[in-house]
Amino acid sequence: MDEKEIIVCRCEEVTLSELELTAATYNCSARELKLRTRAGMGFCGGRTCRTMIEAFGIDKREKNRNQVTLKYQAPVRPVPFGKLGGKTP
Amino acid sequence: MYKAVSGSPLLLEIGVETMYDIIVIGAGPAGLAAASTAAREGLHVLVIDEYMKPGGRLLGQLYQESNGNWWNGLEESVKLNEQAVNEGVKIILQTVVYDIERQDSSWIIYTENIVYTSKQLLLATGAAESPVPLPGWTLPGVMSVGAAQVMTNVHRVKPGDKGMIIGVNVLSAAIAMELQLAGIDVVAMALPPLNQLTHQHSRPKEVMEALLHASHLAPSKFLRIGSKFMTNPFMRQLGIRLYPKSGISMWGIPIQLRKAVTEIYGTNQVEGVIIRTIDINGSPVSGTEESIACDFVCIAGGLYPLAELAGVADCPFYYVDELGGYVPIHNEKMETPIEGLYVAGNITGIEGAKIAISQGVVAGYSMAIASGKQGLVENLQDSIKKVHETRKQAAIRFHPKVDIGRNIIHKQWEARQVPSTNDATII
Repeated sequence: MDEKEIIVCRCEEVTLSELELTAATYNCSARELKLRTRAGMGFCGGRTCRTMIEAFGIDKREKNRNQVTLKYQAPVRPVPFGKLGGKTP
Repeated sequence: MYKAVSGSPLLLEIGVETMYDIIVIGAGPAGLAAASTAAREGLHVLVIDEYMKPGGRLLGQLYQESNGNWWNGLEESVKLNEQAVNEGVKIILQTVVYDIERQDSSWIIYTENIVYTSKQLLLATGAAESPVPLPGWTLPGVMSVGAAQVMTNVHRVKPGDKGMIIGVNVLSAAIAMELQLAGIDVVAMALPPLNQLTHQHSRPKEVMEALLHASHLAPSKFLRIGSKFMTNPFMRQLGIRLYPKSGISMWGIPIQLRKAVTEIYGTNQVEGVIIRTIDINGSPVSGTEESIACDFVCIAGGLYPLAELAGVADCPFYYVDELGGYVPIHNEKMETPIEGLYVAGNITGIEGAKIAISQGVVAGYSMAIASGKQGLVENLQDSIKKVHETRKQAAIRFHPKVDIGRNIIHKQWEARQVPSTNDATII
């Protein structure tokens, strides 16, 4: 198997090499990396790959220790749309 | 716009329960201990957990302590749950909290079917596992080492007949032994391949250093005797150079610190792994590939504090390696800078279940005092002392420098105290 094809974000099918290339090209933070590649923005809300995407921002952490690089937003678990709207399905 | 404003038709439609004094999210050791403590003081307490059984990650734990006694997490969970129920705590399981909101000095807790409200809120949501990416890690049959533990010890289902563990740390070593006890063949433990995301798990020297702090767990004389020599950095280098290529056996499982799994292969599911010898910096040595057949693979990338809900509540965080990642800022009383919001257990940093229980008791007293209960200041002080004592006696240390990590967070808390009093005087 080609090592470049290692999947990091399964939901959006983003590979490790794609993330490395994007991070190198734009010298970007974990958040920018997420927005550029959609890694961590899939169905699971980044619950699997979040720490891997954050790890790309590790060098920048010294000044950003008090700032979570990827924001947490509700809903933090998958919820059916009907429930969010207050309707029973 | 899914958030409902209190009193809106939307909330009435979903159903709102009466106000609790305290809601605890997470029925693990910290959450249950906190709930019992607060309920004993006469408070109305609700515990919500997404899993089907109370106990959290404590459920899967099974290991022998240095005094020879066995720590059985399943039994400890039953005890903690019974204690909470006897104190009058209401426990709701299989219920997911997807949002929390502070409104008019109370908390609104959103679950799928019911919206709960409380005056105080404790987040005891524990930890989650970090994955380690390598070729083939998305194949069926690959799981986190914690998942294998839950399948084996909680559900009594074998994850497979023959497994390979990728990632050598305190947690994976303990779980390897548990799998072995359950009659599952663990072929070997080895390191993940070196890439931008795996470096601290892939360099033999760093892995060895972390392991030395758990050396009392290792029956191998090499590791035990080694740990005394290894306090010297030169000896550490030497130790990892002399580390036998065939690995060292622990409970009959070869631990390979000089080999990395570079690929997991299989057509529709795991069929085996490719393993290579690595140099002391983690780089593979060419021409050393071998294939090992197995039907499941566990990935052990370590634990990090699961703090999503603290993030949603706008609680400030601080990144502390020694505690496992981003931790909500808190003090020794388990208070956060957000009024009415408390934290306890692994959300405050990765440590063992006994420490989580002792932190839960602290949070329980803090919340009882905040709820207006008198005469508990001494209990609170004693419970804080107990946390320190428990930490000193801990059998398993997930990070050797956890005390340093704790100090970093408490300094962050103190640094925030000065400006906030100034704000108050300006108002």
